Amino acid sequence: MSAIIEIRQLTKRFARRTAVDRVNLTIASGEIFGLVGPNGAGKTTTMRMLVTLLQPDHGEIWVGGHSVRKDPRQVRRIIGFMPDSFGVYGDMTVYEYLDFFGACYHLPPLQRQSLIKDLLELVDIGHRRDDMVDTLSRGLKQRLGLARVLIHDPSILILDEPASGLDPRARVEIRELLLEIAHLGKTIIFSSHILADVAELCTSVGIMESGKLVAVGTLDELSEKAVPHRLIQISFLDQIDIENAQAALSSLPGISQVRLKDGLGKADWLSLEAEFIGDDEALSQLLGKLVEQRLPIVHFSEETQNLEEVFMRATRGIVS
Amino acid sequence: MIPENQGTPLEPAASMASDGKAAARKHPFRRALDNPVILKELRGRMRGRQAFILLTVYLGLIALFIVLIYNAVFGVESLTWDPSSRQIAGKVIFGTVVLLELLLLSFIAPGLTAGAITAERERQTFDLLRTTLLSARSLVLGKLGSAFSYLLLLILTALPIQSLAFLLGGVGLGELVVSGVMLVVTAIFFCTLGLFFSSFMKRTLPATVSSYAAILGSFLVLIMIFFLIAYFESTSFGSNSVREYMLTVAIWVLISTNPFMAAVMSEVILVDEQSLFLTNSPLFGSSSLTLPSPWIIYVLFYLGLTFIMIIISIYNVKRPDR
Repeated sequence: MSAIIEIRQLTKRFARRTAVDRVNLTIASGEIFGLVGPNGAGKTTTMRMLVTLLQPDHGEIWVGGHSVRKDPRQVRRIIGFMPDSFGVYGDMTVYEYLDFFGACYHLPPLQRQSLIKDLLELVDIGHRRDDMVDTLSRGLKQRLGLARVLIHDPSILILDEPASGLDPRARVEIRELLLEIAHLGKTIIFSSHILADVAELCTSVGIMESGKLVAVGTLDELSEKAVPHRLIQISFLDQIDIENAQAALSSLPGISQVRLKDGLGKADWLSLEAEFIGDDEALSQLLGKLVEQRLPIVHFSEETQNLEEVFMRATRGIVS
Repeated sequence: MIPENQGTPLEPAASMASDGKAAARKHPFRRALDNPVILKELRGRMRGRQAFILLTVYLGLIALFIVLIYNAVFGVESLTWDPSSRQIAGKVIFGTVVLLELLLLSFIAPGLTAGAITAERERQTFDLLRTTLLSARSLVLGKLGSAFSYLLLLILTALPIQSLAFLLGGVGLGELVVSGVMLVVTAIFFCTLGLFFSSFMKRTLPATVSSYAAILGSFLVLIMIFFLIAYFESTSFGSNSVREYMLTVAIWVLISTNPFMAAVMSEVILVDEQSLFLTNSPLFGSSSLTLPSPWIIYVLFYLGLTFIMIIISIYNVKRPDR
């Protein structure tokens, strides 16, 4: 996949504080890229520079091959930006709102009519077409915001905290909607505090802290870097001596630590959790050796490292 | 699903560019109507009750003043059927309505535009607009155009009330045209003043306060003029003194840049000298100096200032945050 966004040595200072510090980042076309980090990490500042709202102090950004500094108008043609706060015109209907933004992109009136109909269907608020924007719930406003960013058919969507402040149901719906939009071939870049959203949606992730991009890659790559071992969970029928099983497991190659684990699976299972270093082949051999030892295994699985742990490890130390 | 007619992601950019060129070929008036901001603002303004209430209060005030003046003039029985008195009454009514309109427009206009850009910032829609292809010029001119359209409505709806003066006579076509031009220029200027403060301030309230403070400040010039005139009338310069010329011109400019003084002096010159464009030795009489009628200076000065403020406002809206 070709790079659609290139950020080189991007730096932004506000008075004495460096909000974004020499950030380098490449995002490939068609990716869903999640930018995560604590409040004040520099996510919003980076996004605002990306969408031509803020002038960088140093460095350069190319969006679709266009320089944000030299060619902001071309950049605006191919991006759709949704800020973290939903901007509404209270005195407009849903249709008028989209029609106004369509006109701001110089779309002809007839084309706007059919586009708005299709977009309202896409985000599933066609039934609220003639309602005033102010009367929509936050979740519906966010859907309308997504329809707005799609009005000129941009190839890149830049969404700042799209799920913030939404109830769990609305969050899931927005997540599904974003996946549907990604299937249309759009590149989506979004920031979020909600790590679960990022973990479920993103093809790659960037973690920011104190203005720096401290980690970037796919979730698997980040997991590998942040947590080098794999976590294996094994359950046995309760007819065995669990301490013997623990000793047997500890003696196998690749296993570093073995702990007793409660509350995994059924009440009458006995479970162990082990840290394992090795690839999939080694993992398969490990299972084979356990079976060879005739241990009554009923469950064998690898616990996927969650983004929360990756995030905590990636950002650890920088805050303090 | 996404509409099929949208094509590949980069196609619309090309079609939008050609749309832009087509728009550039259009007549300026059609282009103004194509401005999405004008349509949005006018729709929003006329949708609420506020616009109609303001219009009613505006016309009600003007009508009330006319009734008061009419009664004051015709309450004196001896004047009722005298043609020259009727003409004077016509002029007084016409002049009062124009001065009242000037006053009302000066106060309504900045109120319409002081929140034009700051409200977008407060509503957090400013960033949305700045990431579209809407140019800063379209945004500023759209806001200005919609506010001015509403003020034009106020000026036009006051015409039937003003026409009472025409029944009495004494008001010529020249006065009508000059007053119309002055009202329109005043409306444009004060709209631009509000927009100017709105373009660089963060919140609507300080922008509104600053606009009105600027207006009050300019009205204070009026008081200054009276003091200056009183002072110089009591001072002798000797004939053809350069200093007298300079002071005459300076005071003339001060008079001409105040809406009320400019309107009154233009009328005085029209009545005294039967001249719409030029006047001779208007102030002290000891020197012979031909000057343009105040309304001409007024129109040129405020149109020039309006143009400069529009350019600065566009620049303020255009520049990215730093």
